[in-house]
Amino acid sequence: MLKKKWGFSALALVLSLSTVLAGCGKDDSKTITFWTPLTGDDGAYMDQLVKDYNATNPEIKVKHVITADMYTKISTVLNSGKGVPDLAIIHADRVPGYVKQGTLEPMTAVTTAQPEIKQDNYLPQAWSTGTIDGTQYTVPLDIHSNVMYYNKDLLKKYGAESFLDDNVVTIDEMLSLKGKLAEGDFVVNDALLGWVILGQIQNLGGDIQENGKPAVNTPVMKQAFENVKKINDAGLMTPFGEDGYLMFQSGNVLFSTDGTWSSTAHAGVEGLNFGVTNVYSNTADKFTNRSSSHLFSMFKNKDRSEEKVAGIGNFLEFIRQNSIEWAKAGQTVASKKVIESPEYKDYMQSFFTSNEKEIESLYIYTYEYYPYIAEAVDTYCGDIVRGNVDIDETLQTMQKFVEDKIAEGTSGAAK
Amino acid sequence: MKKKLNLAPVFFVGPHVILFAVFILLPTIYGIYASFTKWNLMNDPVWVGLDNYKTILFDNSSTFHTQFNNGLKNTLIFVLLSVPLLIVIPLLVAVALEHKKVKGKSLIQSIIYIPGLISISAGALIWLLLFNKQLGMAGNVFGSDVSWPANQPYAWIIIIIITVWGGVGGNMIIYRASISGVAQDLYESAEIDGAGPVRRFTSITLPSIRFPLIYTFVMTTAGAFNVFGQPLMMTDGGPRQSTHVLMMYIRQLAFGNGESIAGMASAMAVLLGLIILVISALQYYVMNRNAA
Repeated sequence: MLKKKWGFSALALVLSLSTVLAGCGKDDSKTITFWTPLTGDDGAYMDQLVKDYNATNPEIKVKHVITADMYTKISTVLNSGKGVPDLAIIHADRVPGYVKQGTLEPMTAVTTAQPEIKQDNYLPQAWSTGTIDGTQYTVPLDIHSNVMYYNKDLLKKYGAESFLDDNVVTIDEMLSLKGKLAEGDFVVNDALLGWVILGQIQNLGGDIQENGKPAVNTPVMKQAFENVKKINDAGLMTPFGEDGYLMFQSGNVLFSTDGTWSSTAHAGVEGLNFGVTNVYSNTADKFTNRSSSHLFSMFKNKDRSEEKVAGIGNFLEFIRQNSIEWAKAGQTVASKKVIESPEYKDYMQSFFTSNEKEIESLYIYTYEYYPYIAEAVDTYCGDIVRGNVDIDETLQTMQKFVEDKIAEGTSGAAK
Repeated sequence: MKKKLNLAPVFFVGPHVILFAVFILLPTIYGIYASFTKWNLMNDPVWVGLDNYKTILFDNSSTFHTQFNNGLKNTLIFVLLSVPLLIVIPLLVAVALEHKKVKGKSLIQSIIYIPGLISISAGALIWLLLFNKQLGMAGNVFGSDVSWPANQPYAWIIIIIITVWGGVGGNMIIYRASISGVAQDLYESAEIDGAGPVRRFTSITLPSIRFPLIYTFVMTTAGAFNVFGQPLMMTDGGPRQSTHVLMMYIRQLAFGNGESIAGMASAMAVLLGLIILVISALQYYVMNRNAA
């Protein structure tokens, strides 16, 4: 009888201890948990910014958590309601979906407490990306863009330096080099080809949506692909499947259409004498550098105290004033205070905020279903440009791809 | 005497059962439930019965039907190409290592095993450079003029190479352990009777290790059906989606950019699970029957 009683008591004790231990946790009322998807080198620069902010001894400090697969984890914690970060950096294309799903907290409390966090103090498209139906849901950190790097030595070798005179390299200018290149040299690679295509659409005066519906199988989309395809058909684009990015770094490609953030990697290549300009266009009158943005956001979290919100406001104001550190990651900083400072001009990407026309060229798609369209473009653009598939047939497939996903995704009501 | 209630087993088995229920059983049940819904992972799922399955299996005009068929076809190609190699190659290596004249067995085993510990993404970067036309061995040493990731059948070849390179070690260790457990008497008797090395292999080694062989065959096949990292990293599903495996579609639908299409993804995952279940059952049945 004694053993029996003791057995039950032991079991109860173990269960009680498990419960208590599970409930224990470090008191985080004085810490802002800050998730970012910055798994590359850029994560280190954000670490530094957070460290600098915490060094000012704020009442509530920030803990930066670099979160691989962040969006998957976001959906997990939002469903469970536990472990929702106080602050998170999300990409521009995520904003419409999250707002529609009712998962983002408006930034009203932050902008009220911090008067300088307002539209006038940021690059306009970076700010308006977070404006949905008149409500502000995000505060921008940067704009990161598709850009075009050029090899100064090759431009000189092939007498193409004049291409840069008006800061617009046209497709015709590139085609004029046909038959003039040495074996193994190419005019342009296919880095970020999907972004290049999306930029061409703007150059052609088109869009990816018509009356709220996806517009993929359109004359403009077809023209965009055909324009780029001319470069490939002329034998001037790095061969399909080759690593065009590496070939640019090897000094065999005149132009590389990758991102602002690549400048740090290119700068590390010995002997690569390079500069940056706008992505190529079909016309000298219009150019576009397809862009996105890293945006600070707050997912709905009943545990986020007013003190924490105030702390977030302080942190974002600090970022607005001090994100020159972020420029080291190669990004175009969204804060005007930073980009208008003298030291910012030392960074290569300052080219893209040097005048109004350049700023306007940084185009961010905010269409609700942009992510599906981008996925369709990315999946098929390589094959279309290389002539591996029929363009009309493939545009139909892409349109269907997007429409099917939209139809399947319209599920559930916002909570 | 009144029977004493013995609680000791509960304490030993309890933690494992709890872990299994929480991390495997409940998610599986919920995943099956999700396959009957329209769900974006954020809001409440909406019950749609068999709609997802009907679309995937029978709606020829649907993108999801096309994706499932293409993904399954490519997955089957991968399974048919990689599983035989992942069984035969480690088996041959294990037999060779067990030869009494081989020195440094442990060192060789370690070297062959280590690739399995390297992450797919790190290994893929290395192999892509090796097969790079401009910078790699394929182009400079062997004179290959092909862009491997962008042309077939080269795309499958590099995927299979990295898979075998990374996967040989696991099965090899199992085979080596089981071969070392075979009674030496059998080999000695056979040798006395005039059996050559090939006959000894087919008549003694293979029958003796049939259970490890069955186990590795089933597990390797199931693992191959879940292939994801190699085609993602090596070819990104190209060229022309010819290496786009089913798990890539499933993951993209559930966790890709844009609103999640988790219901359809779950249905595809359940179908894949059923296929693996049926094939595993067939494998057990056929090999156990033959082994009797």
